[in-house]
Amino acid sequence: MRFTTLILRNLFRRRARTLLTAAGLAVAIAAVLDLVGVAWNFQRAFTSLYEGKGIDLIVARAGVSNQLSSALDEKLGERLRSIQGVADVAASMVDVIGFEEAHIAGALINGWESGSLLFRGTHVIEGRMFGPDETNVAMLGRVLALNLGKKVGDEVDVAGEPFRVVAIHESDSLFESGGLIVPLASLQRLMGREGQVTGFVIQADPSDPRSVSELQRRIESEIPGVAATQARDQVERDMQLRLAKVMAWATTALAIVLGSVGVLNTMLMTVFERTAEIGVLRALGWRRRRVLTMILGEAVCLGVFGAVLGMILAVVGMRLILLEPTARGFIDPNIPAPVLGMGLIVGFALSILGGVYPAVRAAALDPSEALRHE
Amino acid sequence: MNEREQPSGPILKGDDLRKVYPDGAVEALRGVSIAIEPGESVAVVGPSGCGKTTLLHLLGGLDEPTSGRVFHRGKPLSEIDRDQYRAREIGFVFQSFHLLPTLSAVENVQVPMFEMGWPPRERAKRAASLVEQVGMSHRRDHPPSRLSVGERQRIAIARALANDPSILLADEPTGNLDSRTQAEILELLEGFRRSQGLTLLIVTHSAEVAAAADRIVRMRDGLVEAG
Repeated sequence: MRFTTLILRNLFRRRARTLLTAAGLAVAIAAVLDLVGVAWNFQRAFTSLYEGKGIDLIVARAGVSNQLSSALDEKLGERLRSIQGVADVAASMVDVIGFEEAHIAGALINGWESGSLLFRGTHVIEGRMFGPDETNVAMLGRVLALNLGKKVGDEVDVAGEPFRVVAIHESDSLFESGGLIVPLASLQRLMGREGQVTGFVIQADPSDPRSVSELQRRIESEIPGVAATQARDQVERDMQLRLAKVMAWATTALAIVLGSVGVLNTMLMTVFERTAEIGVLRALGWRRRRVLTMILGEAVCLGVFGAVLGMILAVVGMRLILLEPTARGFIDPNIPAPVLGMGLIVGFALSILGGVYPAVRAAALDPSEALRHE
Repeated sequence: MNEREQPSGPILKGDDLRKVYPDGAVEALRGVSIAIEPGESVAVVGPSGCGKTTLLHLLGGLDEPTSGRVFHRGKPLSEIDRDQYRAREIGFVFQSFHLLPTLSAVENVQVPMFEMGWPPRERAKRAASLVEQVGMSHRRDHPPSRLSVGERQRIAIARALANDPSILLADEPTGNLDSRTQAEILELLEGFRRSQGLTLLIVTHSAEVAAAADRIVRMRDGLVEAG
């Protein structure tokens, strides 16, 4: 028999209590993993939105925290193109629309010009790209097409207007696969914002970090009222992403506190019930350190067991979230391995936090006193 | 020379032991002196609350006296590692057996061996041998709940002998047993004492158990009355 065998047998001495505590931990850890996983994938989708297309800078109205609320004159595109170090410029309008009949509360709609650099990373699965003079045509992302049940040639109602589906596309970014692309002019008219864009994306040449930083400063000094942001910084500054991250970390902190209290309660009960037994172990020559290791080991096994259950629950939970059509366009159902690994770390951390006090208390028991505790 | 082979002097000695429990209300021992020779069998008898178990705990290094000193082979316990003393020199047998319910009989015997740093295979081998010596090989894999009280006490004795101690301290070892099983357990203890040169100190209420010892120490109200 190994020492770990003893620890595991002790843990399952009160099966119902152990399973209930582990289930509580699992729910808390699953919530953490799902939220952190969503935030992680959100960031990855956001990053690939820019980096996958070779975009170095995003130009928007200075002072806006969300690109959706930015408004710039479309003509600024020509001024940007004339600035030294700018290789390519693309105007973009982005908004969020709903599709009530499919119970989709929000899908990303992009207004792009035909042949724009923004089409990089967009792969047409079926149909064709729209041409420069076409209006009221739409390229549906694969996930959105699936949710709407539309195929090439069908009509789709976009904010009250019929648009003809000319392509189904797949994108490196989940946001685009869950949304649709329409001609820029059509979206400007649809939103009553003719002549306006929400921003421009820029490909720099040369595109080394120093040159991009210099170009960023040049744009901001030559065109007052605009903010040029490097692609990575744009992701970091996005308000929704920051909110998602804050929520994920707040939930993690809360889960650790609640989980620790659960482990603390269970382990304190265990120590109280086994006081005489701990006295016997000390009488048999066990040192305080071994008693401490045993109780802490039980807490850690409980935490890790809860974490493993939590990881399974998180994967199942993510699949359940995706039963909601809106979520399918924004949420990647795969929880990344580092996030799942974080579940184990959280389980370990909360078991140590919750297990230390009962373990120290058990180790500090006076053996003679403990033996009288029956 | 091996410590265990020390030729003269008591193996265990209590010198003017007093024990007042922290609340100050109970003075369990009021100046007890006792000396036990190597290989001797001593029974401590007396009415409930006279301080027998307290004396056993002080001699076994489970507790510290309020005043007075305990010596093991002439060395004060206050100057040695008491955990190591209990692990290597003392074997405890309790009235309620105190076997771990989640472990089998033979696994229970291995529990004290964790402190000795032996490899798992060696622990298992020694435990199996001890279980055989107490006549419990046929029940070695049974949990305590499936053993009779006599069988549990046999396993508890095997566990007490796990680290090859020099002294066996037994607190009412036959208190929960019928007279036939009591006789069997006494015979087992006596057999180990003779074969392994153990020193045996038994706290008991039983006249039969006391009569089987080399010497009887009678206690009353925290003092040694005779012996």
